[in-house]
Amino acid sequence: MSKSKFLQQLNESLKPLSAKERADILQDYEEHFSIGLEEGKTEEEIVTSLGSPNQIAKELLADYHVEQATAKATTQNILRATWAVIGLAFFNVVIVLGPAVGLAGFILSAWGIGLCFLLSPILVLGEAIVHSSGFFLFNLFMSLAFCGLGYFIMLGMLVVTKLVIKGFVRYLKYNVSLVKGGLKRVE
Amino acid sequence: MLLDKKDRYGYELVQKISDQIEISEGSVYPLLRRLTKEEYFTTYLKESTEGPSRKYYQLTAKGRDYLYELIDEWNEFSRGVNQLIKEGVNNVEE
Repeated sequence: MSKSKFLQQLNESLKPLSAKERADILQDYEEHFSIGLEEGKTEEEIVTSLGSPNQIAKELLADYHVEQATAKATTQNILRATWAVIGLAFFNVVIVLGPAVGLAGFILSAWGIGLCFLLSPILVLGEAIVHSSGFFLFNLFMSLAFCGLGYFIMLGMLVVTKLVIKGFVRYLKYNVSLVKGGLKRVE
Repeated sequence: MLLDKKDRYGYELVQKISDQIEISEGSVYPLLRRLTKEEYFTTYLKESTEGPSRKYYQLTAKGRDYLYELIDEWNEFSRGVNQLIKEGVNNVEE
């Protein structure tokens, strides 16, 4: 691969980054090439020792996405960061995706249960309208109790969801440093 | 560690690191970027006698603190591992 091919591929893979950031990164590699050439290496040799531009882009993008997720923890940002970290290495598929799916499942189901409890009085009222049963009062009180319980579950889940999101972003950061040979530890 | 005594430019750092550690040279620049963003390094451009200007990396005070912290941690860790190896090897010999 030639120098221009390398830089072009790197540039393509870095599309999500701002133009300024990209130019800055490419500048670093341009400099690397020009010094290497001065030392009498060929473009081919330099490209070989640099490694694949796609892998370099993956590392840069993973950093970028985790940074975004830290700055602003929206669902989209976290999903992007998760994918970027998964892309870094195959073994991460198990390590990151496992807990991610598990946690997401837990959070979704807890929200679901909360919502069902909260809405249970409506079901009872509906039932009373369709066919009146002898247990109407009992059902109504039970459902009101569930409604209260559901309300507390929802409140609790709000806090839990926030905590989990925070924790997961930390986990992703830790993972990026782990994949890169543990050169930096996240405190 | 390479920056503790003097500032160096990217290419120089990459060569020194990849001489000692098995890492593809291209992966060093993302690391340098990250450490710069985390304010462990600052960078400046300096004209070179031969060819275009080069980006130099300078260790910040924060970076130096962190460096010494890491060195201590590493020494502690490698001392532990060495001790374990020693005990393990001795046990095999007995």
